[in-house]
Amino acid sequence: MQYRFGTGRSRALPYAFLAPGLFLYFLLALGPSLATAVYSFTDATGLPNSPVNWIGLENYREFLTLGAASRENLDALIRTFIFSAAVTLVQFSLGLLVAVLLNQKLRGTKFFRTLFFMPVILGVTIQGLMWTLFLYPLGGPLDSFMRLFGVHLGLLGGPPEEAFAWVVIVQIWSNLGITMVIFLAGLATIPTEIYEAARIDGANRWNVFRDVTWPLLTPAVNTNMVLTIIGSLQAWQLFLVLTGYRPGTQVMGYLVYATAFGQTSGSTAGNTFRQGYGAAASIVLFVVVLVIGLTVQFLLRRREERLLG
Amino acid sequence: MSEMTVDAGREAPRTTPAGRRRRRTDPGRLAAYVFLILLSIIYIAPIAMLVITSLKTLPEFTKDAVGLPGSVDFGNFVEAWNKANFPRYLLNTVIYTASSAAIFVISGTFLALAIARRFVRGSSLLFTLFVIALFLPPALIPQFQLILHLGLYNNPIGYIMLFLVNPIGIVILVNYIRTIPVELDEAAAIEGCGYLRYVVQIVLPLAKPAIATVAVLHAIGVWNELVLATIYLTKSDYYPITRGLIVFNGIYGNNWPVLAAAVLMIAAPMAVFFVLMQRYIIGGVTAGAVKG
Repeated sequence: MQYRFGTGRSRALPYAFLAPGLFLYFLLALGPSLATAVYSFTDATGLPNSPVNWIGLENYREFLTLGAASRENLDALIRTFIFSAAVTLVQFSLGLLVAVLLNQKLRGTKFFRTLFFMPVILGVTIQGLMWTLFLYPLGGPLDSFMRLFGVHLGLLGGPPEEAFAWVVIVQIWSNLGITMVIFLAGLATIPTEIYEAARIDGANRWNVFRDVTWPLLTPAVNTNMVLTIIGSLQAWQLFLVLTGYRPGTQVMGYLVYATAFGQTSGSTAGNTFRQGYGAAASIVLFVVVLVIGLTVQFLLRRREERLLG
Repeated sequence: MSEMTVDAGREAPRTTPAGRRRRRTDPGRLAAYVFLILLSIIYIAPIAMLVITSLKTLPEFTKDAVGLPGSVDFGNFVEAWNKANFPRYLLNTVIYTASSAAIFVISGTFLALAIARRFVRGSSLLFTLFVIALFLPPALIPQFQLILHLGLYNNPIGYIMLFLVNPIGIVILVNYIRTIPVELDEAAAIEGCGYLRYVVQIVLPLAKPAIATVAVLHAIGVWNELVLATIYLTKSDYYPITRGLIVFNGIYGNNWPVLAAAVLMIAAPMAVFFVLMQRYIIGGVTAGAVKG
């Protein structure tokens, strides 16, 4: 039931006050988002007055099938999958473990929770610079520590695979807090009486987790699964700070940015900005995210029905 | 979902030191502590390294990167503050963050209210438009073309425009306002209350927690933005602090003591802010996430 405020012309006030927000949304978010598909069929550049031509599927053909560049693109796509799988696997399970531990009556839970969530607030710039220092190759903390065991790591300057692995670690370190608080919110909805009852029945910790906590945590599990998978498929900003655009480490998100806005930064609005091609790359990534996202959601929902009926 | 919003920050009551069932040698609890402390070390160590480095001189750092400083000296902070054009960048960041958050929160609240209370036709369709925004392709490239053709590239106004919408924030607001009882609307309408007075005197006070959460989350996003600042702002007078730090890193990349001081000067206020606003921030993260 809705109620009307005022009379006559003032009935239109809700419309008038809704308009600015809606206009901004169409102009700056929804419109551009949909226009990405349109741009992907053109040869648009980053120059203000250059003509834009319709070139059909040419960008896609080039991106997916043309010579060495397309092999690189394919590698970036595979790397994106590896990045996402590694991040999701570790972040999800570690986040769950930490949340379950912090949901007990332990001392200092508040401190731990604050600490593990802190990087989320600091943002990629500080996360990245902090870890660049921590991974300082000439006697930095990690380097010194590994040398105690006689291990000499290349760290961020090492082989591409190693640098890539470090970015995975920093990504997890940075976002573990999000996964943790979502699990904690889920755990908070489980009534403590259920645990008491299970304990009285003589169930041990593992049984309680498997038969009580895990099924009842389904909503948080679903949310975290989807968020982490989609988030990590799209993530690339830590690469910008930690490794730069380095062959053998790029993921799809970075590739889109680099083709559309030049490899290093937007220092000059140069004509190397291949925005049409970049848009095609970003649609490829979008389709990948959509297909994986929908599949995961479908599987999770089926699991939920099976568990909760 | 409202329950989750409000209580996300704190869980069931705990630490009743009643002493009952305190099994001092419980191996499970011990393992939990050991694990949490080990993980804490991974979280504290990079921060500790930053602090230690910021207090050292460059020769000290070059000689022994992990050693403790010979004497505590805040010279690096002074140097970073002066050299890095920090006051300017910081002011820019504050302007970008405050203006975009204010415009978004005000326009967003009216938008969310009209949708949540069905004051306008097609409000469920509108709501769907905001929900699906989370799954649409990135707006990055056409947005750039738009700003470019508006002549607002490398212009603070163009930069601020990028942060005037936030679909997740709208979804959080709509969901929250829906939980506010409509009886108050009824009373207000019968009394002949005007729309604006209704919004200001009834909706705003009741929706304050959600509005605060959305404002804080949005502000954090703008404050931390690096990529858009890199794309859109090439004139150093316009740099926000994030971009300033990265450029500073490029110039003083070898002078870690000064760089660490610079990073710390930005990180410390944010850490304090987080500790103070923790409830709203964590509440917002979980509210945006734990919706049906």
